[in-house]
Amino acid sequence: MRSPMPLASTLGLGLFVTVAAAGLAQRGATSQTPAPGAPSDATARIVGAAQSVLTALDEAGRAKVQFPFEGPQKTRWSNLPSPMFQREGLRLGDLTPAQRTAVTTLLSTALSRDGYRKAVDIMRGDEALRKTQTAGRAGAPAGGRGGGVRFGEDEYFLAFLGTPSVTAPWMLQFGGHHLAINLTMAGSQASMAPSLPAAQPASYTFEGRTVRPLGQENDKAFALINALNDAQRKQAILGYRVSDLVLGPTQDGRTIQPEGIPASALLAPQQTMLLDLVKEWTGIMTDAFAEPRLAEIRTNLPQTYFAWSGPTTNGSAAYFRIQGPALVIEYAPQGSVDHIHTIYRDPTNDYGAKFTRK
Amino acid sequence: MLVVTTAIVCAAGVSAHRTDEYLQAARLAIDSGTVQIALDLTPGIALAEAIIADIDRNRDGSLSPDEQRAYGGLVMSALTLEIDGTPVRAQLGVTDVPGAEAMRRGEGTIRIQSTATLTRLSIGPHQLLFRNRHHPDRSVYLANALVPDSDKVAVTAQRRDVDQRELIIDYVLRAAPAAPAGAWLWGSIAGAMVLSVLRIRRSRSVT
Repeated sequence: MRSPMPLASTLGLGLFVTVAAAGLAQRGATSQTPAPGAPSDATARIVGAAQSVLTALDEAGRAKVQFPFEGPQKTRWSNLPSPMFQREGLRLGDLTPAQRTAVTTLLSTALSRDGYRKAVDIMRGDEALRKTQTAGRAGAPAGGRGGGVRFGEDEYFLAFLGTPSVTAPWMLQFGGHHLAINLTMAGSQASMAPSLPAAQPASYTFEGRTVRPLGQENDKAFALINALNDAQRKQAILGYRVSDLVLGPTQDGRTIQPEGIPASALLAPQQTMLLDLVKEWTGIMTDAFAEPRLAEIRTNLPQTYFAWSGPTTNGSAAYFRIQGPALVIEYAPQGSVDHIHTIYRDPTNDYGAKFTRK
Repeated sequence: MLVVTTAIVCAAGVSAHRTDEYLQAARLAIDSGTVQIALDLTPGIALAEAIIADIDRNRDGSLSPDEQRAYGGLVMSALTLEIDGTPVRAQLGVTDVPGAEAMRRGEGTIRIQSTATLTRLSIGPHQLLFRNRHHPDRSVYLANALVPDSDKVAVTAQRRDVDQRELIIDYVLRAAPAAPAGAWLWGSIAGAMVLSVLRIRRSRSVT
């Protein structure tokens, strides 16, 4: 009866020393001046850029852009164009050039270089789609403001939920047809879940170059499924069609049973490919927030699943899902390779729930 | 109205959002004593009028609570639910139908919730079958098991037909879970630390 006690005492003491040492080490680290890429710096830069937007607006503009942090606006986002989905906030098409520049600067500050490029490519693609429709239907309301479906570069909306702050929680919401970014910040912490980057057309020409807004996502996923051996592929490929996002807009707070192959059954290079694919979504945030987020996903990698539905030849329309304890990514072609919807979620931290919970 | 709807349908058709399909997404939540079925039904714009007509039986243009509930019943009659090969009846709970205009815009989702009560299920493996035959001619389906809230239930496999009209869920029903190993370890460590402190105090008081 006595013998377990000294062992437990030793264990407890060892653990205490380890925890105390780790705590001291952490205190030592945090007492230093934050590195230039520190999350707190990123928050300060984003808040500064958001305040510049507010300064550039008149009273009416400020009223349009500002929402309470806790309210229905938080979950009001969609992939759909207007008026199929009626957005609130500041419409880009209603802004002066100076105001629009301030919004652009805010987005380029809040997002990484690749993330900003992706957002711009999605919006330009939407504009290309609008022009195609307008050219094909002279006088038709599509893409215009005449009561029909409206989309294109002017039809993106910005909203602030809560007051931009370096300490208190607030949210930057930006979206329109095929794009929804919900970036919640609270001091040095940030979550970009849920967000919805999508694309139609999936490939177009802009100033003489071919643009594929979600091309990396597509190509890296096909590379990964083709890097699996037969047994792994059998585990990863679902035997049924997935025609749409399972956890798209309005599906907050739901966790489906994971399927596919667990990353623990992947070889190290395949795991690296999976993380590199995940980075296409986590890396939309500015690097200071994206890096800790990817580290969290890396920690959960053994419990993270990769599932595939559809052909495995690049150029085909195939659905895939990456799901872990704190991650859901879905990539869902809408009937063709030229129209893609994706969703990025963190079941533990959508809308920053983890660090804004009272 | 017809002109406006037609214009929206044409425009949306070019932007290629789902217009002529009825998206039916089912989520099944299994507990030890119940199965909850949540159905989200989203008609494409081109189908909206037909679905509205299905609901608005008296053709008065409004979707009354009775008509909404009747539509919920209609959908439920097209569902099959079996546990271990035995049919189980799910009771219709909430039927939430959006406004007709929202459906005409392609934004409206009909939400139907139902619950089946399961009695006397033994500890061990079980199999649930779910089949959806509502509007099979023009629908696309999604069907998924949710991660169970209770530790007493663990989903072990899901199988579907190629269109996801049918979903078979294998799951295991467990007895009340034992305290996790982590809790044991932490409990032991905490207890050991308290005892160590008490011992030290006692030895000091003796000297």
